[in-house]
Amino acid sequence: MRLAPYLFVLPAVALFAIFKLYPIAWSFVLSLFRTDGALQTFAGTANYERLAGDPLFWTALRNTALIMVVQVPLMLGIAIALAVAFNSPLLKLKAFFRLGFFLPMVTGLVAYGILFGVLLNPQGGLVNWFLGLFGVPEIPWLTDTLWARIAVGLALTWHYTGYNAVIYLARLQALPQDHYDAASVDGAGAWRRFWHVTLPGLRPVLLLTVVMSTIGTLQLFDEPYVLTGGGPDNATLTLGMYLYMNGFRYFDFGYASAIAYALAVIIAILGIVQFKFLGDKS
Amino acid sequence: MDRRRFLQLSALAAGGTLLSACGGGGAQPVKAGPTGTAATGEITVWSWQGPAAMMKELVPAFTKEFPGVKVDVQDIGNPAIWDKITTGLAAGGQGLGDVLHIGVDYLPAYIEKFPDGLADLVPLGADKHKASFAQGMWETVSRDGKVYALPWEANSAGFYYRADLFEKAGVDVEAVQTWDEMIEAGIKLKEKTGVQLLGIDKAATQADSANLFQALMQLQDAFYFDMQGNITLDSPAGVTALTIIKKLNDAGLVADYGGGWEAMIGSIKKGGVAVQPMPTWFGGIIEETVPAEKGKWKVRLPPAVTQGGKTSAVVNSTHLAVTGTSKHREAAFAFAEFVLTRPENQVAIYKGKGIAPALMSAYEDPAFHQASPFFSGQKKGEIFLDSLKQPSYVTNYSADYPRALKAVTDAQTKVLLKGADPAAVLKEAADLIAGQTGRKVLR
Repeated sequence: MRLAPYLFVLPAVALFAIFKLYPIAWSFVLSLFRTDGALQTFAGTANYERLAGDPLFWTALRNTALIMVVQVPLMLGIAIALAVAFNSPLLKLKAFFRLGFFLPMVTGLVAYGILFGVLLNPQGGLVNWFLGLFGVPEIPWLTDTLWARIAVGLALTWHYTGYNAVIYLARLQALPQDHYDAASVDGAGAWRRFWHVTLPGLRPVLLLTVVMSTIGTLQLFDEPYVLTGGGPDNATLTLGMYLYMNGFRYFDFGYASAIAYALAVIIAILGIVQFKFLGDKS
Repeated sequence: MDRRRFLQLSALAAGGTLLSACGGGGAQPVKAGPTGTAATGEITVWSWQGPAAMMKELVPAFTKEFPGVKVDVQDIGNPAIWDKITTGLAAGGQGLGDVLHIGVDYLPAYIEKFPDGLADLVPLGADKHKASFAQGMWETVSRDGKVYALPWEANSAGFYYRADLFEKAGVDVEAVQTWDEMIEAGIKLKEKTGVQLLGIDKAATQADSANLFQALMQLQDAFYFDMQGNITLDSPAGVTALTIIKKLNDAGLVADYGGGWEAMIGSIKKGGVAVQPMPTWFGGIIEETVPAEKGKWKVRLPPAVTQGGKTSAVVNSTHLAVTGTSKHREAAFAFAEFVLTRPENQVAIYKGKGIAPALMSAYEDPAFHQASPFFSGQKKGEIFLDSLKQPSYVTNYSADYPRALKAVTDAQTKVLLKGADPAAVLKEAADLIAGQTGRKVLR
């Protein structure tokens, strides 16, 4: 009988061990080897030393940090605004809007890539055509370093804002109404109620979404892969892209593993910092 | 990269010994041996678009002769096929096709980085075809006495142009000898017709945006790597090549093919540029894209980089390899042999998609000596055949080509979008490749 609980968790543990634990452990071993396709020689920390002197690694890290610093707060801000709107008694057709904003989340990578490719195409893309109606000159969405970054940010925002808004909304609906009533009685206007009741109430999910978005951004791969290929001139090269290129373009699995471990360390540090600042003080 | 092999290669290239071997009497068509006829099994063939379509058409004839073999030709798509082959090889051959269509830019990496990933074709009888192919080809597919693929297409640098536009501008394209003269001609063309000379994917949205740069280096008998595998990207030849591209761009002669292939095809349809400086295979693409422009197009070999320099270069080739883990290697080899070593099949493929064979005996067919109505009555096949017969520089793509290509396209993007100095960006790119691969930069 004592065995029963273990038997119940066994399938999950077995799957975790095969598909997560084993690759995680093995990629650490790999990161200590100089690999060249199927050829491997033990190299100690050589791959990590190489990281420190690799200009492309630092470019990728800078790009990733830039996206994180600019895009994550922007997206979460929009998501909070959306959640408040979704929760407002003034909004009609709630289900329609909620679904509409959440749908991008379930859009497959390929469809998503093709969609944005068509929309942002510099020659005759829909977005440029539309902006052209208002006399806006053609925007080199994917072929200029700054605009390519903006395009990736737009795609990310489109993809994930609704998802975060739904998380916030769930929390908002769980907030007791009496807090708002009490605030109203004390003479607090809408803005004060948002600032002193809504935001503190969102704190636990705020932490969740900030940590999730940070991890997601640090691992960012899909959007630059389908939209820009990391270009132009590495302007949208992220750590995830660089890792992929080293592993699957250049067959350098050892170095790719070292990048993965560097990434894991960065994520861990940021996660700890975020818990310190946003986590429950008690 | 085996140094001895390349020294051998360069000697061959210089002497043109192979040229006389295959150009003279024409190699005897070789019958598929006993290994072939006895072959059985179900095989999968991986290729892309045009070549895949042509192989599909050859399957019925093949099955007639080899009733025991069932062939499934799959169009994996290009460039998707490279990722799929890499993943398969990294997984020890799992899930790979039996026959793989591989470009010269990937073959060295697959051979060197995945020993036994591709089958040695010598035990299957590949050696008897040694003298059948254009010079330099056999060296490209073999390594240390092993043969890893049979050559399919051999592409020479070409120069397709809209003769009607140049005529309107009063430029005699055939008389243009160097790229500097071509820039002058391009300026005149733009003044008179408003059409830009050529297009480049300036932001390198696709990996092959450096085709012109690469061809300009090859026309100078140079490449990113030398025969010993040292980095020679920022050699004078490289700087000269990128400077030509910068001059073209600064003169406003380069249209932006942002988006790569689609943009290029779109530009051909719209008549956006006057020149496609593309290799042999591209003639078929133009013909297919704008059939109505019959008689408006012409083709020549590219201008030389320097006065009196070379105008011919074999810029790339593709090959069929057999997967090392294939259970039906004999059947797979029989199919590759059937497609690649029988002149009638190569002729059919040339007629269908304009893919130029490396198999020299195929060129005896009248198809290569006919006037082409689309290309204003020129004998297009002969123009490229002449190029193929020239002593050829053997390009060492090396196992690190994908890395080098990325560094090169980024350097070109800096020049085209930000007006960077060619010598400076090439030096930076060469140092980057050196740091990534441990190769030496030759300066």
